[in-house]
Amino acid sequence: MAAARSSVVDLADLRARKGADITGQIFLGLLLISVALAFAMVGAVFWDVLVEAWDIISTRLWDFVRSPSSSDPAKAGVAQGIRGSLLIAGIVMLTFPIGIAGAIYLEEYADDTWATRLIQVTVRNLAGVPSIVYGLLGLAVFVQGLRGLTGGSSVVAAGITLAVLVLPVVVITSAEAVRAVPGSMREGAYGLGATQWEVIRSQVIPAAMPGILTGTVLAIARALGEAAPLLVIGAAGFYTTGNNDFLEQLQGAFTALPMNIANFSRLPAQTWRGHAAAASVVLLAMVFMINLVAIIARARITKKLGR
Amino acid sequence: MGVVTTPALSRRATAAALEPLVFILIAIGIGLLEYFVAGPFTDFGPSNFWLAFVVMAAWNGWEYAAATTATGSFTGQHIALADGSPAPVLTIVVRQLARFGVLYGLPVLVLDFNAVIAAAIWAAVGLLIWRTPDRRAPWDLLADTLVVDGFGDAIEVVELPTIESAADLRLDETRARGNRRAARAMFAAGLASVVVSALIIWNIFTQAAKFVSDSEFEWGILTERGWFPRGGEFDLSTLFVGTLWVTGIAMLVAGPVGLGVAFYLSEYASPRVRRVVKPLIETLASIPSVVIGLFAISFIAPTVLSRIFDDIGIFSILAAGIGVGVLTVPIVASISEDAMRAVPMELREASYGLGGRKVTTALRVVFPAALSGISAAAIVGVSRAVGETMVVFIAAGGNGIFNTDPVQPGQTITAAMASLGAGTDQVAGSGLAFQSLYFLGAVLFVMTMVLNVISDAIVRRFRQVY
Repeated sequence: MAAARSSVVDLADLRARKGADITGQIFLGLLLISVALAFAMVGAVFWDVLVEAWDIISTRLWDFVRSPSSSDPAKAGVAQGIRGSLLIAGIVMLTFPIGIAGAIYLEEYADDTWATRLIQVTVRNLAGVPSIVYGLLGLAVFVQGLRGLTGGSSVVAAGITLAVLVLPVVVITSAEAVRAVPGSMREGAYGLGATQWEVIRSQVIPAAMPGILTGTVLAIARALGEAAPLLVIGAAGFYTTGNNDFLEQLQGAFTALPMNIANFSRLPAQTWRGHAAAASVVLLAMVFMINLVAIIARARITKKLGR
Repeated sequence: MGVVTTPALSRRATAAALEPLVFILIAIGIGLLEYFVAGPFTDFGPSNFWLAFVVMAAWNGWEYAAATTATGSFTGQHIALADGSPAPVLTIVVRQLARFGVLYGLPVLVLDFNAVIAAAIWAAVGLLIWRTPDRRAPWDLLADTLVVDGFGDAIEVVELPTIESAADLRLDETRARGNRRAARAMFAAGLASVVVSALIIWNIFTQAAKFVSDSEFEWGILTERGWFPRGGEFDLSTLFVGTLWVTGIAMLVAGPVGLGVAFYLSEYASPRVRRVVKPLIETLASIPSVVIGLFAISFIAPTVLSRIFDDIGIFSILAAGIGVGVLTVPIVASISEDAMRAVPMELREASYGLGGRKVTTALRVVFPAALSGISAAAIVGVSRAVGETMVVFIAAGGNGIFNTDPVQPGQTITAAMASLGAGTDQVAGSGLAFQSLYFLGAVLFVMTMVLNVISDAIVRRFRQVY
């Protein structure tokens, strides 16, 4: 099909016609609308949560953060949830070395065999498995199987389950960071007579540190926000610690901030909506604080490395 | 008096000004730890400052013990006599005691930590240091010491091994052993991921097999209308319809918006605009899904949807689907944007060279070239939407009644699992209902695994093209 072509006689014919590109304007308009919609979503979430939470934030924020759960709306707070979330984050962090070491094995040690590729594919797919499926694993293995160690539906079982959940994320992001370290750095160290482990310890890990840090922070943020696995494991909505000491509390009933939010949201009475929103504000504040710490730490490490 | 000039005076002044701040932060940190982790709820008060006081004492002792060595303290500085030579231990002890006494002993020990007086003391000391020549602090004047960057004669000499024959180049056994051990440890860590996935698969499928092989089970119960596990009704189609609706609605929201954002960021936005817009949209990804669930019932349903549909309640599949869509936007946007940015510049330039407009280039050149990556983004989005639990659990108001109307409450696979799981204590012994949880898990696992494998294959293929 021969399309009609405009003939080019002199330079003026090559000039773009003014105001002719209506399709382009419409397309750009549509793109801007979608960007505006995405912004509106972010804005609406924060705006709505803040508006709903305002009653509690403006009157009893400190009290809300410090009070345990209660059936009285005026007294109920999320202290137990914050405590549970902090403990879970701590347990999750304990397993980061395994993830980072796994990434180093995949990138630095493993030969490119079918077994290595199998591990890589498995890890990538584990990262996409819905979080509630990890809850099933936690329920069968850590709650029922290892009851002697975890004490059943406890914060320890929840922490280990979430650690397993974020392990693939840690492995993938750390592996990317390790892969990005230029080979010349390794060769320089080998040339000075370093062993493979010395090369990894003194060159690869420090150079990959900013990337690894970003990955681990994403992992903590994810672990802090997950509720579905905790639901399956059996996080409590309401419990009392009594006079249990710290170790007994680790193995006893527990809850976490996202569980608080879910429970408040599902209560039929409208009075609890504000509690859910205020708990969301606390959770968001925690997640963003962790992100902030990571940004600062990243900047410091990058500066120290002189890059 | 021989004066040794210190080039890092301003750095030292900053460090000194920050120290009381560190002290207060430590006190607050101890308070928070005590409060949230260590158990009994106590009040924040003088006891926290006492503990911080002990921490600061340890810090001061360590810092200035280090300051007498060749390498210097944390800030890389040394305590010298006024003439620049290393100070004797006794002088340092006197200086440190004076310093600690003024900065912490006075406000904490003598005045039982009165915050206002403490701040006044710190401000006064700071002013004094600022006004004194060489920025010497009162305790430096007392002990006649000076903080310097380094002692000229205190460089440690390291003996390097001499190499006389090839044998000297051989690795010594300790280092070789360390190397082997590290390799084994790394391998074990790599193995852990395989073990975990094997555990998940084995655990879910053995339990699911128990469900299918149970004496009460027959395949017919999977197709009766309604999902009421405790009543013995296990109709999968009820859950599939809900899941399809939620996923479809989510992709209707996330597909266009995510793709539009990706087009804008990759083809139109200047680097400066991109630096602002991208993190803002990625903020969506860091919002926990419970919060989006709350957003669905407190904003999407009552404020937006009730204006459009007359008979819609707080809980509906539609509200849940839009909520899931909000969560999926950043995933679709970031993967498609990566795909579009991977399209080589030459293709765009060729299009411009032929007189192609920007919109033609974006839609007829970049889009087809990035199509595989964009479809991978869509598949990952679907997989995420299928597996999303909390938004649906909170906002869809799940009951197990068979329902194809999206403005009514409904149930998805994940939400059904969450409802079952929320009562695990009750379900634990009761046979089929408990095992149906694992049966659904197996179904979900297979679905998302297939989606992930497909998208993974597509992404790897499109990576090899350029």
